[in-house]
Amino acid sequence: MARRLTRKRKPIRKLPKRRFKRSRYSRLGRFFNWPHWRKLIIGMIILLLAYVVYLDVIIRISFEGKRWALPAHVYARPLEIYPGLKLSASQYNLELERLGYRYHFNPGNPGTYNRQNDRFTVIKRSFQFWDGLELSRKLDIRFDGGQVESLRDLSEDKELTLARMDPPRIGGIYPAHHEDRILIQLQEAPGLLRQALIAVEDRNFQQHIGLDPRAIARAIWVNFTGSGGLQGGSTLTQQLVKNFFLSNKRTLWRKFNEAIMALLLEAHYDKDEILEAYLNEVYLGQDGRRAIHGFGLASRFYFDKPIEKLNLPEIALMVAMIRGPGYYHPYRYPDRLLERRNLVLTLMNEQGAIEKESMLSAKQQPLGVIQDRTRVGNHYPAFMDLVRRQLKRDYREEDLTSEGLRIFTTFDPWVQSTIEQTADSRIAMLDQQHGLKGELQAAIIVANPSNGEILALLGNSKPGLAGFNRALDAQRPVGSLIKPAVYLTALEQANKYNLLSLVDDSPISLQDTAGETWSPKNYDGKSHGKVPMYQALVNSYNQATVRLGMWLGFEAIENVLYRLGVDKRIPPYPSMLLGAIEMSPMDIAQMYQTLAAGGFRTPLRAIREVMTADGQPLQRYPINVQQTIDSKSIAVLSSVMQEIMRSGTGRGVRSYLSDNIELAGKTGTTDELRDSWFAGYSSDYLGIVWLGTDDNKPIHLSGSSGALQVWGDMMQGLRPRSLLPIAVNGVEVLPIDLDSYLVGGSECYRNITLAFVEGTAPEFYADCAGGGKRQD
Amino acid sequence: MLNRQLLVIIWVLVAGLSACSTAPEKEQGFEVGDDAQTSDRILPDRRTSKTVLALLDNARSAANLGQLSKSESQLERAMRIEPRNAVLWHYLAKLRLLQERTDEAAELAARSNSLARKNRKLMAGNWQIIAHARYQNGDMAGAQKAQQKVEQFKK
Repeated sequence: MARRLTRKRKPIRKLPKRRFKRSRYSRLGRFFNWPHWRKLIIGMIILLLAYVVYLDVIIRISFEGKRWALPAHVYARPLEIYPGLKLSASQYNLELERLGYRYHFNPGNPGTYNRQNDRFTVIKRSFQFWDGLELSRKLDIRFDGGQVESLRDLSEDKELTLARMDPPRIGGIYPAHHEDRILIQLQEAPGLLRQALIAVEDRNFQQHIGLDPRAIARAIWVNFTGSGGLQGGSTLTQQLVKNFFLSNKRTLWRKFNEAIMALLLEAHYDKDEILEAYLNEVYLGQDGRRAIHGFGLASRFYFDKPIEKLNLPEIALMVAMIRGPGYYHPYRYPDRLLERRNLVLTLMNEQGAIEKESMLSAKQQPLGVIQDRTRVGNHYPAFMDLVRRQLKRDYREEDLTSEGLRIFTTFDPWVQSTIEQTADSRIAMLDQQHGLKGELQAAIIVANPSNGEILALLGNSKPGLAGFNRALDAQRPVGSLIKPAVYLTALEQANKYNLLSLVDDSPISLQDTAGETWSPKNYDGKSHGKVPMYQALVNSYNQATVRLGMWLGFEAIENVLYRLGVDKRIPPYPSMLLGAIEMSPMDIAQMYQTLAAGGFRTPLRAIREVMTADGQPLQRYPINVQQTIDSKSIAVLSSVMQEIMRSGTGRGVRSYLSDNIELAGKTGTTDELRDSWFAGYSSDYLGIVWLGTDDNKPIHLSGSSGALQVWGDMMQGLRPRSLLPIAVNGVEVLPIDLDSYLVGGSECYRNITLAFVEGTAPEFYADCAGGGKRQD
Repeated sequence: MLNRQLLVIIWVLVAGLSACSTAPEKEQGFEVGDDAQTSDRILPDRRTSKTVLALLDNARSAANLGQLSKSESQLERAMRIEPRNAVLWHYLAKLRLLQERTDEAAELAARSNSLARKNRKLMAGNWQIIAHARYQNGDMAGAQKAQQKVEQFKK
């Protein structure tokens, strides 16, 4: 077959070849003999055709392969409500506002609530969580004394043990243009929306071929006469093309491109496909940096409803906004928008889309948009930065900004608002008192000590400001925050050291390798001679700590720091023993989390789960622990860290919290009062506070006078739970008489409560406690 | 399924517990898989709130359906409510065994022990998990020591 074809071709090729050559030559010759203007026109037509082909390729590739980049949505923790939960009625009310629930005298729809003093009736929304669908329920919640007293399901009239609210959305991870949308299909959109769009934006949509000469002529006429009007000259197809492919510049070239592309789009796709794309593409407002695109998201954003539930006035309102979401802003210019919405209704009636009665009734309705959520504090740059960094370990940037992932975090908006209030008041006050002219900077981290979940984060003393995230990136000397690690190194050797072992707090001088002498002093400038170990830590004595640390050795201390979670090289210099090493507040949080969790290191986490856009589980970040320090040594150290808060450098916290709330913590101050630190914990909160300036100026604040005050203020707002009494197998907690350092009792004048590994406590009772040997 | 059977066999081999099973006190505890039947059932103590018990019930149902990740999520919710409830840490450790994450199981069991106070039965259960994890990792001497702890706390 192939051979036959080849044979057949041969004679044909030979003869015409000559003819073709001759003919081409003659045609080309004729072309070269044409006048220049004809050549120019032909050239331009060829170029134009090539350009149209190029646009056609762009249109088809882009439109057919169009996958809108869906940003990742980031959620705070869902509030779990159960009887006995520490939650006040006002706290709960704030949560509802944050979630965009609407107050209603008789709640009937999901997302509405009613409050009568300490009693709420709430119809919570349904929500797809990692572990299943949480159904919408009508709840009756009563509060008393700052906690949930009872919880009932009113739909089924029964007591509930637990109800999980939907989680507040705290941000998104956007592509560069910050577009956000909820994709919809055409059939999900109410018919009235389609009619309204066509009536207002493009009444010949069904007939035209992408351009509407009558509309253009009308627009030109309106422009010329200045008579005003509702409809522009662009068809929906042109608007879509403009949004899809072109800039906002009003140039003739852009108009030309728009027209060609609109014609091409209409040639390739049917009206429904174009309309569906338009519904998803159109820009309908701004939420901070986030751009609201498409009717799917806009109906959620402005009305807290899925698109299919929108009523006539709501549809008319959204169509009214298309022309200029900034100019017709529902919160800034409600009157302007109302007027235009009513114009849309009039036009819909004129076009026969709605009856006159419906139009009149809809015009009577208020705008109906929900509370402006952009004003509820929902901008958390420091925490979002942390989430993004943790996600980047597991996901590519383009997946984060385009796949519509749903990120469930550990963030607690209420804890965050508490620390932000502290920043606004206490930090601002300290700044003013010390003449720092607004330069006092801060970082705060609050975490759950038990499971390592980060609840709130502040990376700037001005909450809400993005930029340098001090909580994660500020590397500062940590001062005395290091000391618990030095004492822990000793306490791990329970056969050698207990809290009553004497350490020498007399003056000390050390020479470094360069021959320089270093003579650390105590904060109060005094030396205290031989003191029990607990006392040296409670009062943060520098000389005693350096002497103890030198005895224990840098390597042993570095090892303990590593096990506490400090994953960095520690320089083997004596000044390290007083915290001349730089760490970030997050490093400190990890170190103190291990102390707070009884020696079990738990990596601090900001993310719980990741789900796909359609609610399928993708990845969990489960709790994991690793015991790196013996629980007994930690228990002994904890008893001193609690004493610090009773009588030591942390006693200033008692201006904020009552004596019966047991807390543990440590202050930190650096040379010339440049950094002020406090790290401490209750049973439910671990809090780290750093204060300083970015250019490392003295701030005239010690750990006690600065960071501790901020910590106390913040904890007062958080209403922390007291630490539970130390109860670790193999550890005994005893009152110690301070005059004899023997086991004391209620009869003794001055007692201190300290913990000892069994077999290491004093063997005798003090005289005031009756004297004699202890019986085991 | 094969994994579960394997777990049961290893469990019995290491722990030598085939004769030790006892009838459950009340069917409100959390059990995952067959391995639990070979050891004493550890039930939540009386101070455990109804909320946590409800979550445990969900966790158990999910685990029995093989939805370990869902079960894990329910347990973590319970632990946020009662972070110092040692029994919850024990259940999570058991779940990690089923997930074949033995190192993590042993650490969680140790955490449970640190909160167990004087609950000897719970401590025996935790040491059983540690013994199992060590055996799985080829640490025979460690497994034997852990097993001795099991016997010690059972007395």
